[in-house]
Amino acid sequence: MRSFLILKNLLFLLAPFSIFSCVNLKTVQGFSNTSSTGLQQFEEIHYTFLDHCQDRCFEIAVHEFQLERELECECGDFISADSVTQVIYSTINGYLLGLGELAQNNLTTYRTNDLTGALTAQQLGPVSIDESVVGAFSALSNTLLRSTTDFYRRRKIASYIEKANDPLQVLLKKFEQIVQANLKGELQFKKERLYGNFIELKLNNTLESDFEKRKAGEDYYNALLEINRLEKMIDIYAKSLHEIADGHQVLYDKRDKLSLKDLAVDLMDYSSEIQVLNTEFNKLNQ
Amino acid sequence: MANLTSEQAKQLSDNFFMLSTALLDFRVANWDSLSKENHQVLSDARSKSLEFGEQILAFATSLIMNEVTESLDTINQVTSDIKGTIKNLKNIQKGLNIAAAILVLGIAVLEKDPGKIGESIKGMVVTWGEG
Repeated sequence: MRSFLILKNLLFLLAPFSIFSCVNLKTVQGFSNTSSTGLQQFEEIHYTFLDHCQDRCFEIAVHEFQLERELECECGDFISADSVTQVIYSTINGYLLGLGELAQNNLTTYRTNDLTGALTAQQLGPVSIDESVVGAFSALSNTLLRSTTDFYRRRKIASYIEKANDPLQVLLKKFEQIVQANLKGELQFKKERLYGNFIELKLNNTLESDFEKRKAGEDYYNALLEINRLEKMIDIYAKSLHEIADGHQVLYDKRDKLSLKDLAVDLMDYSSEIQVLNTEFNKLNQ
Repeated sequence: MANLTSEQAKQLSDNFFMLSTALLDFRVANWDSLSKENHQVLSDARSKSLEFGEQILAFATSLIMNEVTESLDTINQVTSDIKGTIKNLKNIQKGLNIAAAILVLGIAVLEKDPGKIGESIKGMVVTWGEG
């Protein structure tokens, strides 16, 4: 009975420590998961360098009235551009997913049911263990295990954030450059080609009836709206990348104080902003 | 000769873009006074400018790879370390399960029950093989 009371007291003393460490890791987990979801919106843009190359090949063939049995497009550079983009995207995503998984609470929620079951259900030779003592032992060992592993995780997470921050900032910046300057830049060319094709139609007086003219106008503006929609999606996506970079910088700056409450408050701003951008992005994708 | 950077390539692409818009604007402004041949020359020059610009922009993306190799290596190393840590933490659960299985086997041995001993050994082997 005395040992049971000692165990109970110890448990009482250690419980707040355990709860405290869970909360802090949750902040890191929340930010990593939100960032990873934001980053993965890239897969919803549905426009690649190869798509651009094939579109332009088709548009040129139509404009110049080239008739081939099979339309062959030279897209080597565009395929390489997609590969580079994919490598950078996957590397950033792999890191964020790993960080989120390492910080998630149930990673160190261990089940001791099997062990306590084995201790209580059977008689261990001449020794018989009281059920309440086994219960207290189980709770205490879980708390100790949780506390030490959470302490270990926080230390590890801090060191990973420290190592990853500089290269992650570089990768996010370059990824933003690829998406916003280069991929969106290709769309500018698409727009310009579209405008040139329709202005030629107009000035060549090849369209005779009002119906043909209005139909051509409608086709032009529909195509333009579609390009504008893609451009807006890319702009929103680029903002998300910015927020992810800034949020990770905050994690880095406070890596030695991951237990501070204000870290949760600071990161909440970035997470909320990424979520708002996700919603905006999804609206355009409907 | 120094290598072209991704930013310089982007700048080149922008120049081709501006050239192509200028060529079209010139054609539009002088549409009726240009001969058919002149129209064709300007139209071809504009098309080529667009194509070069697009091609260089794709190439600018490939150039980024040279600029991020070190960062990619570091992040991949960190991610691999994170996975190792996750595996270690998951092994703690495996250790607890094995301890329970050993305890059950010990009880079966103490009870001198061959049936239970056989079952316990099977259980322990299964636990050992899990994740």
